[in-house]
Amino acid sequence: MWYQAKLALYESATRFLTGLARLLPGIVALVAALLTSVFLAWIIAKIVRWILSGLHFDEKLTHWGFASLADLSPLNSPARLVSRTVAGLVIIAGGLIGLAAVDVESTTLLVRSFFGYMPNILAAILVLFIGTVVARFVARSVLIGAVNMNFQYARLLSNGVKWLVIVLTVAMALEHLRVGPVIVQLAFGILFGGIVLALALSVGLNSKELVTKSLDHEASPTTNATIEEPFHHI
Amino acid sequence: MEVDLERERVQEKIEQTDKADLVVGIVAEIDQAGIEVLVESLRNFPGVPRIVVLQKGLSTKSPATAAEGSGKDAAKDASLAVLPWPLELGAAATPVEIISEAYRSVFAASDKLEARACCIVASTLESATAQWICQLLRPLLQEDFDFVAAHYARRTFGGLLNYSIVYPLTRCLYGKRIYNPMGPDLGVSRRLYQRLLWANGNTRPGNGRIHPLASFAPMALCRSLKVGQVHVAARVDTPTDWTNVGPLMSSVLGPLFVDMEINASCWQRTRGSTLVPEFGLPLPVSREPGKVDIGRMVETFRLGIRDLREIWGAVLPPSSVFELTKLARMTPEQFRLPEDLWARIIFDFALAHRLRTINRNHLLPSLAPLYLAWVASYAREMDAGATQAERIIDRVALAFEAGKPYFISRWRWPDRFNP
Repeated sequence: MWYQAKLALYESATRFLTGLARLLPGIVALVAALLTSVFLAWIIAKIVRWILSGLHFDEKLTHWGFASLADLSPLNSPARLVSRTVAGLVIIAGGLIGLAAVDVESTTLLVRSFFGYMPNILAAILVLFIGTVVARFVARSVLIGAVNMNFQYARLLSNGVKWLVIVLTVAMALEHLRVGPVIVQLAFGILFGGIVLALALSVGLNSKELVTKSLDHEASPTTNATIEEPFHHI
Repeated sequence: MEVDLERERVQEKIEQTDKADLVVGIVAEIDQAGIEVLVESLRNFPGVPRIVVLQKGLSTKSPATAAEGSGKDAAKDASLAVLPWPLELGAAATPVEIISEAYRSVFAASDKLEARACCIVASTLESATAQWICQLLRPLLQEDFDFVAAHYARRTFGGLLNYSIVYPLTRCLYGKRIYNPMGPDLGVSRRLYQRLLWANGNTRPGNGRIHPLASFAPMALCRSLKVGQVHVAARVDTPTDWTNVGPLMSSVLGPLFVDMEINASCWQRTRGSTLVPEFGLPLPVSREPGKVDIGRMVETFRLGIRDLREIWGAVLPPSSVFELTKLARMTPEQFRLPEDLWARIIFDFALAHRLRTINRNHLLPSLAPLYLAWVASYAREMDAGATQAERIIDRVALAFEAGKPYFISRWRWPDRFNP
């Protein structure tokens, strides 16, 4: 019996050590691949940043009308954002290569499903990016227009519009990622409707005077504004 | 489709017409009797130049075009022809766009007819339109001037955007005191309109970088052409639309700032300002009837300080934002925007326009509350009755001239020179 127990222990230790010995080169390869990819990512990021700086990418982007992109970038530099994105992609590629060295079968499956899902991720990122830029642009347009029209709730209106666009964008991005589509649709409906209702209520309650003035103006087109105020801009 | 056919018919008529000395484009709403008086005055113009009048709103199919309707003599008179003038305009065209398109169209016709000069009548004046059109034409045809601007009789609260920004900026940049540099009623020589046509090339309306209204005066001044101005009656103003001040700032100041960029090498060499030759007798400043209420304008400015601080902070130096914050705390009775601060604000906005610090579609409308603050300050000073309108406008223009070194420094070294 003692012999049999010794044999079982010996076999289990052998199996474990053999498995470990089989896995060890893969783990070493994973670490090596990760270290190499980090080093490569650092070099490539440096080169990309150097090239973009040489091309005056940040200034050109501002000239092309994407000034707001700087606010979303690290240290207000879109060139840095691009270089860091490239570096991130290199590190992810290195990680996948390393994983393939550990376990070919499951990693191939993982890589296949990852690359299958990649278009969804890219589309979601693109939707989020465009949505954020559009939200900021529209919010600023509404803010300036509302201030020029002497609306006391200009900031509220601008924030409301911004969040409407952002909620719509996030819902679209999640739809692309196929994350809980039913919940997303429901949540989006509730949030969107809620924001619209809140805006309508706040604007409606604040603009009683404005509506009265507007109705007076419609009723009598020879309004006091044109008679009493002598100012002419052009 | 109808407009295209109409244009083709007009093109045919222009091609049938012999060469002309002068082309007059009429965009303003002038009644038939007014047109007849104008045609009669032009026929009696000294030297009997051959004149073509393009009138907006006429139809080639109309049995009573102005030429026929202006009397049998005019029909017989080969030296004068009145043609209909269909303008290609979008439904949402602003007054500035309409006049710009009118200029482009009249240049093309003038070029075809090899006219020595052309002029646009875009305003309805309070008195004797025919007389002042002839006054505008005289320096062009008789004294070989290249650019003749109308100097409208001042009204206390009329043309405020011109007198607060366009006039002082043009005066300080190019060194000549042209009171209405953007017209819209202007006379232009062949030399000048051809330059503008060449500069614009064959681009579609609105696509070209050169904007006729904003570009005439700078182009003439930078090329040392002969420039003058004619005293005429006050313009009949359209009612003010207070909800439209932002777009107005964009349509007027956008082309002006673009032109500054184009002529940067020219205006950086100029210091001070001088008068240009003037024709006719100046008319006194008249005060409009009506109550002056600056409350709404001050309120808009305060809203701007509260909500647009982020945008203004990106455009203006901290010292200017601080002074504006102090101004917002003043009561309407104390409200006064100093001229030097106003000049620096305009210079900083011009620089931000050039550098695209923020999107241009946001930049110029965001200037509207500041402009209304200037109008409120001006109106309060006028209402106090202590100062004359002309003196205030002159003070503003001098502040712009005094601030020019600041502007040049910021223009040349926007990052290094930021007080």
